[in-house]
Amino acid sequence: MYKIMIVDDAQFMRVRLSKLLTGHGYEVVEAENGEQAVQTYRSIKPDAVLMDVTMPEKDGLEALAEIRGYDNQAKVVMLTALGQESMVLQAVQAGAKDYVVKPFDPDRVLRALQKALG
Amino acid sequence: MRVELFNPFIIAAGEVLNTELGVKAKRGALHLDKSDYISQDITVLISLIGDIWGVVIISLQFDTAIAIVSHMLGEEVTEFSELAQSGIGELGNVISGRAATKLAEAGYDTDISVPTMMVGQGSRISTFDIDRLIVPLETEFGVVRLALALRESS
Repeated sequence: MYKIMIVDDAQFMRVRLSKLLTGHGYEVVEAENGEQAVQTYRSIKPDAVLMDVTMPEKDGLEALAEIRGYDNQAKVVMLTALGQESMVLQAVQAGAKDYVVKPFDPDRVLRALQKALG
Repeated sequence: MRVELFNPFIIAAGEVLNTELGVKAKRGALHLDKSDYISQDITVLISLIGDIWGVVIISLQFDTAIAIVSHMLGEEVTEFSELAQSGIGELGNVISGRAATKLAEAGYDTDISVPTMMVGQGSRISTFDIDRLIVPLETEFGVVRLALALRESS
């Protein structure tokens, strides 16, 4: 069973994504901000990460850089609101496998994850 | 009153509600309001500064918010809990981000704040000398009301 880390500061998004992924057979761990995401990645080493771009403490771009610095094979899919295209471009250049625009289509999230997992 | 100032938010809110609720939100009758805004159960405030400045107020009743969040989550939520607040906040975030893109496409250089949420009826908010365009978006879960107090920078 693949283990996926969901990173979003909005509790609602974590619950919603967690429900979607567990319903499709994934195991889920959650982090509330970029700092927690980096720590959790190091301790749990999930198979893939779904991560919001805009977060307090440490944003998704900083966390992505640190996670990829620790594990250059890390499979990270970014979640973003429309209007953050420049940040998405930076994320892809920094090694993100894909991105999903909110409000998200559940199938789009699942496809992005499957693609990232290879 | 220039419609291009208002359309980005009206269209963004409609698109986000349509996507999240899976049904088309119907636009009710528009009108101008000059008096102070009196808060409903839930009020989401988004500020704009730049080529366009002012405030966008999104308001809805508790039962509408709970029904929307329940639908988005795919399970029944029974109160306006922390989780439900987070869901409505996220809805505000997504509408705001989408509106920012549409404003940029229309050629306006405008910064939009992260939404702020007020919970509780009866607070008075003044938009001073800027009239508010009231746009009710009617859904099967209840009405989501937009109040747009926007002005072009001189």
